[in-house]
Amino acid sequence: MKQSKILRPGLSRRQFLQSVGGLAALLALPRETVFRRPTRQLSGTLRILQWSHFVPRYDEWFDEFAVAWGNEVGVEVIVDHVGLTDLVPRTVAEINAGEGHDLIEHIAPVPQFEPSVISLNDLNAEAVNRFGDRVGLSTRASFNPVTDNFHSYCHGWVPDVGDYRKSLWAEVGKEDGPATWQDLIDFGAPIRDDLGVQMGIGMSNEIDSNMAARALIWSFGGSVQDEDANVTINSPETVAAVAFMKELFEKAMTPEVFSWQAASNNQLLIAGQASYILNSISAYRSAQQVNPEVADDIFFTPALTGPDGIGLASEHVIYNYIVPTHAENPDAAMEFLLHLTENYDQAVFNSELYNFPSYFSTTPDLLEGENWVGDDPFGSNPPDKLAVLGTAEEWSTVVGHPGPANAAVGEVFATFILPEMMAKAARGDLTPEEAVAEAEERIIPIFEKWRDEGLI
Amino acid sequence: MAITYDRNTQIEQQSLLDNERVLGSVMLLPAIVYIVALVGLPFFLAIGYSLSDITVGDPSLDFVGFSTFRAVINDGTFQRSLLNTFVFTVVSQLIVIIAANMLALALNKNFRGKWLIRFLLLLPWATPIALGTIGWLWVLDSVFSPIDWLLTQANILGPGGAFGPSAHAYWLGKPTLAMISVITVHVWRLIPLATVILMAGLTAIPQDIRDAVAVDGVGFWREFFEVTLPLLTPIMAVATLFGVIFTFTDMAVVFVLTRGGPVSSTQVLSSWAYFKGIEGGNLAQGAAIALFLLPVLVAVVIAMLRLARRSEVL
Amino acid sequence: MAIVETRDLKRHFDKVLAVDGVNIATEEGEFVVLLGPSGSGKSTLLRMIAGLEHPTAGDILIDGQRVNHLPPRARKISMVFQSYALYPHMTAYKNIGFPLKAEGLDTATRDKKIRWAAGLLGISHLLDRKPRQLSGGERQRVALARALVRDPAVFLLDEPLSNLDAKLRAMARDELKQFQREIGTTTIYVTHDQVEAMGMGDRVAVLYNGKLRQFGTPHELYEDPADTFVATFLGSPPMNIIERDGRLVGFRPEDFLPKVVWEDKEDLVTYDFHVTRTEYLGADQYIYGIVNTDVGETKIVSRMPSMVTVPIEAGSQYDFAVQGHHQVYFDKQSGKRIEYEKV
Repeated sequence: MKQSKILRPGLSRRQFLQSVGGLAALLALPRETVFRRPTRQLSGTLRILQWSHFVPRYDEWFDEFAVAWGNEVGVEVIVDHVGLTDLVPRTVAEINAGEGHDLIEHIAPVPQFEPSVISLNDLNAEAVNRFGDRVGLSTRASFNPVTDNFHSYCHGWVPDVGDYRKSLWAEVGKEDGPATWQDLIDFGAPIRDDLGVQMGIGMSNEIDSNMAARALIWSFGGSVQDEDANVTINSPETVAAVAFMKELFEKAMTPEVFSWQAASNNQLLIAGQASYILNSISAYRSAQQVNPEVADDIFFTPALTGPDGIGLASEHVIYNYIVPTHAENPDAAMEFLLHLTENYDQAVFNSELYNFPSYFSTTPDLLEGENWVGDDPFGSNPPDKLAVLGTAEEWSTVVGHPGPANAAVGEVFATFILPEMMAKAARGDLTPEEAVAEAEERIIPIFEKWRDEGLI
Repeated sequence: MAITYDRNTQIEQQSLLDNERVLGSVMLLPAIVYIVALVGLPFFLAIGYSLSDITVGDPSLDFVGFSTFRAVINDGTFQRSLLNTFVFTVVSQLIVIIAANMLALALNKNFRGKWLIRFLLLLPWATPIALGTIGWLWVLDSVFSPIDWLLTQANILGPGGAFGPSAHAYWLGKPTLAMISVITVHVWRLIPLATVILMAGLTAIPQDIRDAVAVDGVGFWREFFEVTLPLLTPIMAVATLFGVIFTFTDMAVVFVLTRGGPVSSTQVLSSWAYFKGIEGGNLAQGAAIALFLLPVLVAVVIAMLRLARRSEVL
Repeated sequence: MAIVETRDLKRHFDKVLAVDGVNIATEEGEFVVLLGPSGSGKSTLLRMIAGLEHPTAGDILIDGQRVNHLPPRARKISMVFQSYALYPHMTAYKNIGFPLKAEGLDTATRDKKIRWAAGLLGISHLLDRKPRQLSGGERQRVALARALVRDPAVFLLDEPLSNLDAKLRAMARDELKQFQREIGTTTIYVTHDQVEAMGMGDRVAVLYNGKLRQFGTPHELYEDPADTFVATFLGSPPMNIIERDGRLVGFRPEDFLPKVVWEDKEDLVTYDFHVTRTEYLGADQYIYGIVNTDVGETKIVSRMPSMVTVPIEAGSQYDFAVQGHHQVYFDKQSGKRIEYEKV
């Protein structure tokens, strides 16, 4: 197989030095791009639609990376970026119109589009063949066991870590931050009452609240569904989780968490107004730019554990590329995805360690070698504060856990049933038992509907 | 040299363009295409969707009868959305009409800097809804709200304040306050249009009538309630009907401010249709939810047409 | 005592003088007409009397009291507008009663007054109708009734007949005048129509460019015009004005007849009249032609009653004559009236 090497696309040296501010980053650069001759003869145009990445550098790198590949293999590559809230409606519109992009990247599982996308079974098999084992949660996000079909290609995911303010937690005698959910109450309460800084676990109609609700339920041993997509929400474990949330709200939070937007916990953390939040490292990265003093005080925890020692967090973002049936150049789309995966260390690096790979073999320097998480190339102080990400695969899972991220789970997610369940109990509108029962009542018809569709 | 015309040809050439029926059809065509493509088609599509099991991934239409409607109606969030849609529309329009009347009367007087006030008044209308609402998002923020700051300074919020000790009202974090906030943004957004329409209405009241009122010697309130208001009624109805349509169908305000929260307390039909149908993938239910907007909109349109006809007769 | 008096009344609109120093005083019960072409300032003058416009300078007195500072409702006036200005959403009954309501009268008194005014104007059967269900003439009566119920010191009428068609207008003119005589209220009436002015006015004030040109009885205005404007504004066709012997000489077309008609009348001034065109109008015949004057040929006209049967042919030349005492003289420069002097 012929391989060629070209100069690394992306930023100039000067931009690099300015933006990351350190020689360490320069030394830690990923490997040079590897080109592999496609097995198929490619031509024409490849149209890619994806979100505008939280980390602007990623988009700059990606656009050049994609075009460089296109030049190499004789395909004109066009990359369009939209805001993350436009991804789903845009996809719906294109599928209904029967035309549009060849390749659409989503940041959540999109099993609902399965009837209108081509099967990526062969692509996924080839990826395993080339790059070795795939992370389990990536499979659950892209594979439908009922139809035995990969509807998506999951190239990466983003861990949802706990971010805490070390100085605040040290003052109440817990310098290493919370380890269990109970710690949030035990130490969060004095932090709120004595230090005037609240906890930031949302219960609002937005993505972070959705993630937090699931993490809490799983850590208490509950779940929305089982492996076979049977609704299991109404369990003593879920009720206990909801009751816990109520207590947490009363002791460590304010009604503010009902008004949250997706950016609220980031803003709070950066402004130094939250003692603990559940989020990707993007909030921390922003703080590094905007408020370095706070950033230096932010440290990370893995998923908090529940009463039985289970600690699970949902991925924060999980990247799923789909190839709609109307795609005009599916071959190029699939070849490009292999190329992207092959050079995924660049993706991880240019996302400032936001993206994690589905195939760890592609990014040897993340956990070993240069050990980016242990020695952050992007100016963390101390440089090893991201080391907790090294175990992320163990405590991360995907919405739908312990089952696949299917269409019913997606609709439950999109209609905010879990955050509303939490909020109703926390506000005292319903008892935890009633809130869970009501949520079940809303969830069951959704599962039935999608079961009728044959997708779960 | 003599120029000769072939008369027959001449006449035939002209007749096609001069034929009023042909010309009329040609002129009407764009309007018909517009109505069919942008009004009729989506409407019938929505009906088709709501009676089928369509999802965002499976655009084929398999008839399932009214089961989708049953599923939609049984959902508590839908019921709340339906109620909210009416509450937001009625309350905001009441406030808009009262405030717009006051503003229009004030702005019809002559004073220095009038153009500036008019300009400022029109700004909310010229601002894209989403952009303006994002501004409000900051104003109503749970932590950074400038209103909270002012209220704290005024000793209304905060320790020792009448509504203390919390220094925050949580405008979007409590159901009643969130509803008030949504209504406020609607009011803010629609007052300019209503005011401009009413100002036009005021200008349209003949000077003779104003003079007659002056000669007949009535005071401000009697003039307003017995002459101005009745004469403004038709145009006020127009302003209200526009406002009803804008508020009733709007999803931007709710989508940006609360996404329906806290706990569905501000969810409205259009935003719920979006979350259920597009984000949730259940296109059939989304269409069914959206169709509940229809009866009211039809009623509004009929009211407008009747109003238009009556004003023609006048 | 004068009911309405204006003293050196002036009104500027930006730089334009709409009313320029007008002095008028009305007698008790008098019907005064303000006559002038559009833009003459007559409506502005009326609106100042009503209190709807503020004078730039000068005084307005009503019943001997200076009212410059008073709002319209305090001036003991009532007004009828050109458009009638009825409140379209109220019945005729409510329209008429509206000023009474403003005065705070009780319902019974109001009802009595409304029915009295409606009866006087013959619209008792129309009281339940709204303005849009009434004809132009009926609307005008409702407007009059509304003005009447207040029992004002002065009626101000702003071209109230101009929205009626020609036939109705003649009738309405007569009725209005009769009506005013009966109730005997001082009335100021604005019009641009000289027929209305002559037919209705006890006295007529002729306004032009904001200035009062002449104020007198219709007879005085017609027979004794103060200047060439008044002379030519009144009468149809207007007075002939020719230049002769260094002055302007004016004579009415009906006084300018073929010499033979005058027979042996003395004091005749004869003109050599080149007839260019004749117009037969039933009762009259208009004869257009040319006479020689100081400045060459001038077009003038004769209005000859149809019963005069002297044959007149276009293109021929005839001796026409006017009696000397029917001739009036104006200054060539100012256009003002002057007495005849032999040069």
